[in-house]
Amino acid sequence: MKTKFAAVAAAATMISCAAYAAGMVSVDQKGLAFSTGALTVASGTIVSFNNGDSTSHNILVNGNGVNMNSGLQAPGVSFKVPFLKPGTYQVMCGIHPKMKMTVTVN
Amino acid sequence: MDKQESRVDRRPSVLTKFATAAAGMAAMAYGAVAFAHAMPNAAAIIPGPSLGAIARMMESFRRDHAVPSPGANATTAEKVRLGKLLFFDPRLSGSGAISCASCHNPSLGWQDGLPTAVGDHGKILGRHTPTILNTAWAEPLFWDGRADTLEAQATGPIMAAAEMAGSETKVLATIKTVAAYRDGMARLFPNDPHTVENVAKLIAAYERTIVSGEAPFDRWIKGDQTALSASARRGFVLFNTKANCASCHSGWRFTDDGFHDIGLAGDDMGRAKVMPGLTILEHAFKTPTLRNIAERGPYMHDGSLRTLGEVVDHYDSGFITRPSLSDQVKPLHLTPDEKADLVAFMMTLSSNDTPVTAPVLPR
Repeated sequence: MKTKFAAVAAAATMISCAAYAAGMVSVDQKGLAFSTGALTVASGTIVSFNNGDSTSHNILVNGNGVNMNSGLQAPGVSFKVPFLKPGTYQVMCGIHPKMKMTVTVN
Repeated sequence: MDKQESRVDRRPSVLTKFATAAAGMAAMAYGAVAFAHAMPNAAAIIPGPSLGAIARMMESFRRDHAVPSPGANATTAEKVRLGKLLFFDPRLSGSGAISCASCHNPSLGWQDGLPTAVGDHGKILGRHTPTILNTAWAEPLFWDGRADTLEAQATGPIMAAAEMAGSETKVLATIKTVAAYRDGMARLFPNDPHTVENVAKLIAAYERTIVSGEAPFDRWIKGDQTALSASARRGFVLFNTKANCASCHSGWRFTDDGFHDIGLAGDDMGRAKVMPGLTILEHAFKTPTLRNIAERGPYMHDGSLRTLGEVVDHYDSGFITRPSLSDQVKPLHLTPDEKADLVAFMMTLSSNDTPVTAPVLPR
């Protein structure tokens, strides 16, 4: 599950609200913020949350019956979440609750 | 410790034009102090940060001057005026004797100077009164973050039985009885003026105006070489490197607005009571701002540490280890001189703010 941040840093650059087909999409965690506030993906897309900060983070995913918790996500570690069911999901860091975003699955 | 920040930069050619200029500023402001650490033993030597690294450190603490004004409760002068009156008005409390300012005393850094707060009928409460300084940026609020907005926070203590022991009945009676409140709120909220929610909006609007002013540290960031002593400058580097303070006390308010278990004894579960199921949030409390910290003792969520020196000792080696302990809290092996430098640095975060005048309350 965990890969080094450096290995995925070259993945797709996020914009403020982006749509992606199924596959792998990267969201960076840098400066106590996600690189996008809203992301739209196709069902089956795996979103890789990449901790590029020097402090630990956490990923909580809630919505559509999903309640996922990454536990402690150390600096440099990526946490990958498959988004399978259409709908909107809230994503936040349990340690730094100002870090929040939505993932919409078509 | 951020290794990238602490290593010696041997590649000046990769500096951008901005970074070069910023490094020049850092060199002026920091002088040679960063490179003249004379530590008593080799193990305690701080790797000398490059000028570029110091410039980046300094830049990350530059002030944000734009005070948030949320769309749902845009700040206006009239809201602030009424909000200040309500903030200082004990008639909102159950006993009629406690106001918001009783605990959030502007003379005491918008705190009360006590280890833990004193509530209704003199009851000693379990947590230290947090400051309301710079809360415009500080959401979520409370030590455990249970209020997402300042509006949600504002009436929490008023209604809490252990704190101000107010009630909707008492609050509404006050604002409907006092003409200045009754008429003022009718002007501001013509559709449904006299509600607890509107009281919260007014108090929140006032609280957003409580902002710490420019401190010596800010003047140093802006280039005033005389603003910080050599000890404080060394403390700043330690704060960002060996002591690892900046991993949580980041940004111009010196807080990440996050929640961490820093290893204080006690059975208060903190953030885990609000967000159960996460081990890392057990005994975790919100990172407090360090602005005006010298005037805001005692320290920590339980008020258990009396001085900044005790705070540094705690982070150096005084914490207890348990599964929820933040991975940022590790033995620091600070020397006495380094501890003194850190305290000297924190002393530079105090602003010489204009004294707040308590209002004459309307009858």
